[in-house]
Amino acid sequence: MNPQRKRIPKIEPFKHRVEVDPKFFDKSWKKLDDAIREIYNHNASGLSFEELYRTAYNMVLHKHGGRLYDKLAENLKGHLREMGKLVEAAQGGLFLEELQRRWADHIKALQMIRDILMYMDRTFIPSSKKTPVFEHGLELWRDIVVRSPKIHGRLVDTLLELIHRERMGEMINRGLMRNTTKMLMELGSSVYQDDFERPFLEVSASFYSGESQQCIERCDCGEYLKNAEKRLAEESERVSLYMDAKTADKIANVVDKEMLSIHMQRLFLMENSGLVNMLINDKHEDLTRMYDLFKRVPDGHSTIRSLMASHVKETGKILVTDPERLRDPVDFVQRLLNEKDKYDEIVSVSFSNDKTFQNALNASFEHFINLNNRSPEFISLYVDDKLRKGVKGAANEEDIETVLDKVMMLFRYLQEKDVFEKYYKQHLAKRLLSGKTSSDEAERNMLVKLKTECGYQFTSKLESMFTDLKTSQDTMQSFYANLSGDSDGPTISVQILTTGSWPTQPCATCNLPPEILGVSELFRAHYLGTHNGRRLTWQTNMGNADIKATFGDRKHELNVSTYQMCVLMLFNSTDTLTYKEIEQNTAIPPVDLKRCLQSLACVKGKNVLRKEPMSKDISDSDAFHFNDKFSSKLVKVKIGTVVAQKESEPEKQETRHRVEEDRKPQIEAAIVRIMKSRRVLDHNSIVTEVTKQLQARFLPNPVVIKKRIESLIEREFLERDKVDRKLYRYLA
Amino acid sequence: MCTPAPGGRGRGRVRLNVGGRVFQTTATTLAAAGRDTMLGAMLDASWNAAAAGDEADYFIDRDPACFAVLLDLLRTGGLHVPPHIPDAVLCREALYYGLLDRVRAARWDDFDGDRLRLAASVPGRAPGDGTAVRPAPDGGCCVAHGGAVRVYNWMLEERRPVYLDHAPVNDAAYLDASTLLVAARERPGRRDGGVAAFSALTGEMRHRFRVAHDRQVRSFTPGALAFDQECSIFASCKGRLNEYGIGVWDGTTGEQTGFFYEPPGCALGDADKLQWLDGTKTLMAATMFPRADSSFISLLDFRDKNVVWSWCDVGTPASLEDKHAVHAIAMEDGRSICVINQYDDLGFLDLRSSAGGVRWRSRSKLMSRKKVHAEETCYPKLATHAGQLFASTNDAISVFTGPDHALTSTLRGSDGGAICDFSIGGDRLFALHNEKNVFDVWETPPPPII
Repeated sequence: MNPQRKRIPKIEPFKHRVEVDPKFFDKSWKKLDDAIREIYNHNASGLSFEELYRTAYNMVLHKHGGRLYDKLAENLKGHLREMGKLVEAAQGGLFLEELQRRWADHIKALQMIRDILMYMDRTFIPSSKKTPVFEHGLELWRDIVVRSPKIHGRLVDTLLELIHRERMGEMINRGLMRNTTKMLMELGSSVYQDDFERPFLEVSASFYSGESQQCIERCDCGEYLKNAEKRLAEESERVSLYMDAKTADKIANVVDKEMLSIHMQRLFLMENSGLVNMLINDKHEDLTRMYDLFKRVPDGHSTIRSLMASHVKETGKILVTDPERLRDPVDFVQRLLNEKDKYDEIVSVSFSNDKTFQNALNASFEHFINLNNRSPEFISLYVDDKLRKGVKGAANEEDIETVLDKVMMLFRYLQEKDVFEKYYKQHLAKRLLSGKTSSDEAERNMLVKLKTECGYQFTSKLESMFTDLKTSQDTMQSFYANLSGDSDGPTISVQILTTGSWPTQPCATCNLPPEILGVSELFRAHYLGTHNGRRLTWQTNMGNADIKATFGDRKHELNVSTYQMCVLMLFNSTDTLTYKEIEQNTAIPPVDLKRCLQSLACVKGKNVLRKEPMSKDISDSDAFHFNDKFSSKLVKVKIGTVVAQKESEPEKQETRHRVEEDRKPQIEAAIVRIMKSRRVLDHNSIVTEVTKQLQARFLPNPVVIKKRIESLIEREFLERDKVDRKLYRYLA
Repeated sequence: MCTPAPGGRGRGRVRLNVGGRVFQTTATTLAAAGRDTMLGAMLDASWNAAAAGDEADYFIDRDPACFAVLLDLLRTGGLHVPPHIPDAVLCREALYYGLLDRVRAARWDDFDGDRLRLAASVPGRAPGDGTAVRPAPDGGCCVAHGGAVRVYNWMLEERRPVYLDHAPVNDAAYLDASTLLVAARERPGRRDGGVAAFSALTGEMRHRFRVAHDRQVRSFTPGALAFDQECSIFASCKGRLNEYGIGVWDGTTGEQTGFFYEPPGCALGDADKLQWLDGTKTLMAATMFPRADSSFISLLDFRDKNVVWSWCDVGTPASLEDKHAVHAIAMEDGRSICVINQYDDLGFLDLRSSAGGVRWRSRSKLMSRKKVHAEETCYPKLATHAGQLFASTNDAISVFTGPDHALTSTLRGSDGGAICDFSIGGDRLFALHNEKNVFDVWETPPPPII
C-alpha cells in the first residue's frame, strides 16, 4: 500500500429533495388527459372543476409549466386530427354543417380547458412568452383542420360556389355562411383574408368582368348602370349578412373596377343612350345614378364633367353662331336662358349641386356666349324687351325679378361688360324718353343688380338718367305754372338731359315749325332764367309729337316723331312738296329725313303722304303729296319710324369703335396705376396685371395694351429700361 | 361573460367548503370576481351541467382564513387583512383564485400627493450608489445601482436583476409593465453599454438598440431616456467621434428612425433629462449643472428637426452666479418649465416667449439645509403628477398644489440619508435614499368608508 495514498473522506452535500413523488407529473397529467377526453366526448358532468384546477395549479407550481403546455398541445392535436377526419368524411352539402358542428364542439371544449389551465395562463404564459391556451387551441384548429390539404381547398370552393349560386339568384343557407366566415375571422384576420377574402375577391373580379362584358353588349347605358347599382347593393348586403365589415370596401372596389372603371369611356360615349343623350333628353334619374356610381371611380366625375362641358360648348356654339337665330335677339337670349335653366336643373337634381359641376357649366357658358360678339347687345335688347312690355302673361314684379336674375347670370358670363353698358344705356335712354318703361320699380331693380355686380362706377351714369327725368318733370310743372292762361297753342314736354350721362349724338338741330318754336323759346327763357350758366341744346332726333290731321272729312290723331312732325307741318300750307324743298325747310340730316319720309309715305296703311314716283326708296328728285285719301279704322294712328331694333351694320361698327375708344383711357389708367406702385415691371407682367384689373369690365387685347404702353412712353409717363429693353420704368 | 349557474337553486345561494370551513354566499357575489377567475369558472354553466339540487355545493382545498379575507373583498370591495395573515400568503391565495388584481386595486387609491402614506421601505443591498428609481405602470419599480438594475414587482418582491454588460447604468424606464429599457455607459475601449430592452419578468435581454451614423453602426453612451405616445423611444447619445445628439427608435420594431444631431450651442448629447410634451409634440431636453458648466434647456421638434425654444443660464447676473438650475420639469399644462437650484429655490420658465429668464419664486426657500454633505451632494429633483408639483429637498419631498404651487405636504420617510432620486407612477411614489440605498414606497390609502 502506498503510504502516500491517503483516504480523503468525501463529504456528500446534503441534498434536500423537494419532490417526493417522481411520478407526480405523469399522474397529474393522466388526470387532466382523461378529463379533456371526457370534455370532447360531451361527458363533462362527472368532472370536478376544483380538482382539475388544483391539479393544474400544482403542476405549474412545481415548475412543470413547460411540460404541461407541450403535453396539452399534443393532446389537442390528437383530438383535432380525429375531428378533421370526421369533417373530411362528410358528403357534399353536409360538409359545411359538419365543419360547423365540430367547430362549435372545439370552442366549447377549449373554453373548459382554458378554465382548468387558467392559473397557467396567468403566471406561466406571460413570463415564457407563449401563446395562451385558448389562442393556441385556435391556431391548432386552423393548422390541423382548416388548412389540412383535404379540407382547405374544399372549404374555399364550397363557400365560393355558394356565393356564386346566390349571385345567380338561388337561395342559400346564409346562417351557415355567416357561421363559417365568423369561424375564419375568429381564427385571426389573416386567416379570414388569406383563406377566404382574397379568393373571394378574385372570383368576384372574374365574375363581374364576364357579366359586365355581356351586359354592355346587350343593354343601353341606363340599363347597364341600373344593373351595376343593383349589383353593388347586393354585394354590400352580402357583406353585412355574412362577411367581415372590412370586406365591404374591397368588394365594392372590385365591382367598381370591373363594372364601372373599365367600361367608363364606352358607357359615356354610348350612342343613343350615353351621357350626351341623357343630357339632351333630361334623363335626370339616369344622370343621378351615373353621378352616384362614378363618384366611386377615380376620374369618374371629372370625365363626366368634361364631357358635359364640351357638349354644352358645342351646342352653345351652334346656337350663338346660327345666323338664323341672330335675327331675333329676344329669342336668341331666351334660348340661352332655356339652355341655362335646363343645365342648372340637371346639376341641381342629378349632380347634387356639385360645385365643380356648376363651375364647369359656368365656364362652358362663358366660353360660348363670348364666341358671338353681339351677345352683349342682344342681352341688353332682351332686357329692353322685358322692361318695355313687361313679361308676357303675368307681368307681376316677382316674375320680372326672376327674369332679371337670370339675365344677370348671362351678364356675368360676358367678357365685354362695357359693351353691354353702352347698349344698355342706349336702350334705357330710348325706353325712358319714349316713356315706355313698364315699371319704374323693375328698372331700378335692374340698376341695383348691375351695381352690386359691377360697382358704383358702372351704373352712376345710368342712375343720373333717372334723376334727370325726375327733375324734368318738376321743371315742366313749374314752367306750366308760370305759363298759365295761354293754353291755346301746342304744348311741349321737355326732358332735360345732362350732357355725358345720355347716349346722345351731336346732331344738327332741325328747323322747328314756328308754332313749336314759340313755345320752345318760352321754355328756354324760363329754364335759363331759373338756372344760371347752363346751355340748352335741342335733341330733336329723339322726341315725338301728337298732331291732329284732317283727311277729307276724317279726323285722325297722328303719333309721330319730331322730325315727322316737322315734315307734316310743312303740308299745312301746301299739298305738294319736293324732297329738296322739304330738306331745305326742315334742315333735317338727309339720312334721318329719308327714313322719316319712308315711314310717312311708303308704309302701307300709314301712308299719310303720297310719293311720286311710287317706289320703296327715297331719292332726291321725289315729290310728296298730302294723301287726303288716307284712312284708318283707328282715330289714333301711330306712325312708326323705320328704325331697326337691332343696330345696322355701320351702326354696329360705330358702336364697336366707340367702345374701343372708351377702352383706351381705361387701359392707360390701369397701366399707370400698376406702374406707379411697382415702379419697374416687365412687359408680360404688365399685360397680366392689366388684364386682371380690367376683366370685370372687358378682356383687353394684349396688342392694344402694347399700343397703349407705347403711347404712354411717347408721352413720357414710362420709359424702357436702358439695359434690359423688356423692362419698363415709371417716370414720376 | 359571466353566466352563473342556472337559477332556481336556492335563489342563487352557494355553499363553499374551503379547507373544512363552510362559507355560504350567493352566485352574484362570486360572479363579481369575473368569468376569468377560478371562482367565475367554477360557477359557470359549462361546469355545472349535471349538478342538481337546491343549493350548489363546492369543495375547495385551500386555506380558509385567506378565503375569508378574499370573500370579504368580493362582498364589500374593501380589503381588511387580519394581522396574523402574512402578506405573501394572502397574495399567493389571491393568485390562486385569480383575484390578485382586485387585491392590488383595493390596497391603494388613485394617487394624491396630499394623502400619501409610507407603505414600505425596501432595504437596498446593492453596492454602489443608486442612480435612479423608476416606476412600473402596474405599481412595481426598478432601481439602478451601479452596473445593475434591480427589479421589483408591485408586491415589492425582487425579481431577477437586469444587466447590460455590467456597465454603469445611467437611466432606466418601463416601456410597458413587462418591458424595461436600460441605458448604460460605454466604458473606454470596450464598446459595450448602449440602450437595450429587457423582459422585466425574467430579466432576459430582448433587443439592443443600435445607432448608425452614415449607415455605420457605432457604439455610444446614452444619457436620459424618454418616449412619446406613438411609442417612439428617445435617448440622449454621446458617440465617440463627437456624434452628439438625440437618437430616436421605433418602440415596436426597435429600428432607429432618426438622429437629432446637436446644433452648435445646444448641448443635447449630454442631456440628463428628456421629457416628451404631448400638447406641442416636442421633446424637452435639459442638460443641467453640474454635468455641464451651465444649464441648458431646449424644446425639439422632430418633425422638421428644429429647436423650437431654448434657454441657457450663461450670462446671468453675478449675484446669482453660484445658483444653478439643477433639475427641470415641463409642467403638465405645457406652458412652462419648472426648475430648481441647489438651494431648493423653485423657478419658472415661460415656454410661450423665448426671451424672459427664470422667474424665481420669492421666499421660496423651503427650509434651511441642516448640513452640507461633505462628499456627495444630492441635488434636488422635481416631478409632477395630476396638477401637483413634487420637489425632493435633502431627505424629504415637498408637495406643492394649486395654481400658485402652495406647499401642502412634506413627506419624510426612512432615515437613509438624502433622497438622490424619486419618481411617480403606477399610483405610487418611490424615493431612493442615498446613503443606505433604501427606497421608500408611498401610496394613497383608500378613502374611509364614512
